[in-house]
Amino acid sequence: MKDILDKIAHNFANLENSNQISKLVNEALEEQIPVFEILEKGLRKGLEEVGRKFEAKQYFLAELLYAASIMEEVMTILRPRLKSETIKKEGLIVLGTVRGDIHDIGKNIFKMLAEAAGFEIHDLGVDVEPEKFTEMVKEKKPNVLGLSALLTTTIPEMRIVIEELKKAGLRDKVKVLLGGNAVTEEFRKEIGADAAVDDAVKGVELCKEWMSE
Amino acid sequence: MKEPETMTPRERVVNAIHFKKVDVLPWYESYYPDAVLRWLSEGLPAHKTMKIEWKLRPGRIMINYPMFAGFDLYSFFGTTNLWGLVVPVDEGPIPRFKQMKIGETERYEEYIMETGAIARRLKTKYWGYTMPQFVDFPVKDMKTWEHYKKRLNPEDPRRYPADWEKDAYIKIFEEYQEGSTRLGITGFYGFGAELMGIPNFNLAFYKNPELISEMASYWEYFTIERIRDAVETLKDRIDMVFWWEDMASKHGPNISPKLYKEFLLPHYKKVTEFLNKCEINRILMDSDGNLNPILDLVIEAGITGTWPLEVNSGMDVREVRKKYGNKLFLGGNLDKREIAKGGEALRNEIDSKLPVMKQSGGYIAGLDHTVPLDIGLERFKEYADYLKKNLPLS
Repeated sequence: MKDILDKIAHNFANLENSNQISKLVNEALEEQIPVFEILEKGLRKGLEEVGRKFEAKQYFLAELLYAASIMEEVMTILRPRLKSETIKKEGLIVLGTVRGDIHDIGKNIFKMLAEAAGFEIHDLGVDVEPEKFTEMVKEKKPNVLGLSALLTTTIPEMRIVIEELKKAGLRDKVKVLLGGNAVTEEFRKEIGADAAVDDAVKGVELCKEWMSE
Repeated sequence: MKEPETMTPRERVVNAIHFKKVDVLPWYESYYPDAVLRWLSEGLPAHKTMKIEWKLRPGRIMINYPMFAGFDLYSFFGTTNLWGLVVPVDEGPIPRFKQMKIGETERYEEYIMETGAIARRLKTKYWGYTMPQFVDFPVKDMKTWEHYKKRLNPEDPRRYPADWEKDAYIKIFEEYQEGSTRLGITGFYGFGAELMGIPNFNLAFYKNPELISEMASYWEYFTIERIRDAVETLKDRIDMVFWWEDMASKHGPNISPKLYKEFLLPHYKKVTEFLNKCEINRILMDSDGNLNPILDLVIEAGITGTWPLEVNSGMDVREVRKKYGNKLFLGGNLDKREIAKGGEALRNEIDSKLPVMKQSGGYIAGLDHTVPLDIGLERFKEYADYLKKNLPLS
């Protein structure tokens, strides 16, 4: 059993052809390996290695996108075999690009990787009003609120969202993660967010760390 | 070329990009129209910056008429017009897609753009500008690419201006001295990303490599044949090729060095070899983001300069110079964030880089990005005044 899961992880980490990975996953299913094991010890282990290679600048955006698409493809095999109650979700992330900003490439990459890593995502899209974020935090009770903005002219919106959370008494109920090219550590401290990241891999790693706290 | 002290703006740029002596370091900025609107509201004098040109009046009637022709901030602030005189060869799809509004809500307008992409734009106040959100792209697979290619015929006579008369253009180029003369090329990464969107284009390197190979081969053919007549006519009177690419983010290039080597490099070499044969060897790549992981390959491709070296992404003009010497002429790298702070931060940023680059040569001063919208007119003036004091070499 370990052999085939290691193979899945290895092939995934090396971004082998997705058909080959699907074939290995089917073999694992034929061997009666539980879906949860295939996910955790095969695919997610491989995905973690992809993230490590990205941070080491061996992989770049194209490789990240391909990894996410392999995961999506393989999940079409696994999903029908998973009963919803057996799916262990890492946690829930509410996500959106702030008001006045309609950039979504970075947000969407984070979403794909976070989903692949086992998080449930509630994506509010782009140009999201601060009140909408607050409403969703109240309703969905997420573990993490992800705010994305690309421009220096729109990052002040992140401050407004945090102020709204405070007003609604929700600030200490959720971790706030900032993402986007213009956000800095200095800015994060200034507005009182929990973290600021400049790439999706770091963001997902951080969410995983928070969940294990 | 004349000796220092008597140089024209063009001579300054040409000398700088060839690592020769200059009297005053050239300085280049580019401006978003929205930044200009903001500055106008803050007191930028329109009567000193707006240009009027006499042209045939629109409406297809036979009358010469004065018309607004944009803003000349170059003369007003004293920057060099690096765009300068552009070789007028059209690179876009012919015929263009008819740009029109195809949808509207209270907050958005949706357009089909001239390239065929569909984009959503916020209805905002003037300097609340953001780039549009692209919601669809014209090329998705081999079939749509084959269809799109019909608009990319390099030999379509409409690619050259109606008045393309070689001797007249040679004369215009010979006389022009206000800045460099340049030819625009969109690199294959920029080309593919515009036609397919960044995520789909990047993914296709893995999921549809046949499509990428076919597009890259066609890009090479299209690029060389499109510019052939102009390049063979004007030859080294074209001072610089401006190679737009935008292929990197803060993390690094969007595609790995391996993919660059496999899919881009062979075609880039063919295009730059063609340019070199025509005595054009100054090729400036425009890309934001961290290019460090691929700079060796960029040089191997025949690119000889890079701009704007975004500090926020980890680029440092002094480090690039130290590593690559005169293999690359460099432009920009003054940190927009420090300049936006003004005062000591602004002066420190300039003082920490300008003296080193003046000494090493091969440098055009400027911000590490198009002037961002959060730099107001007074701050930009402060920056311009301090920088200009420090540009002379003596």
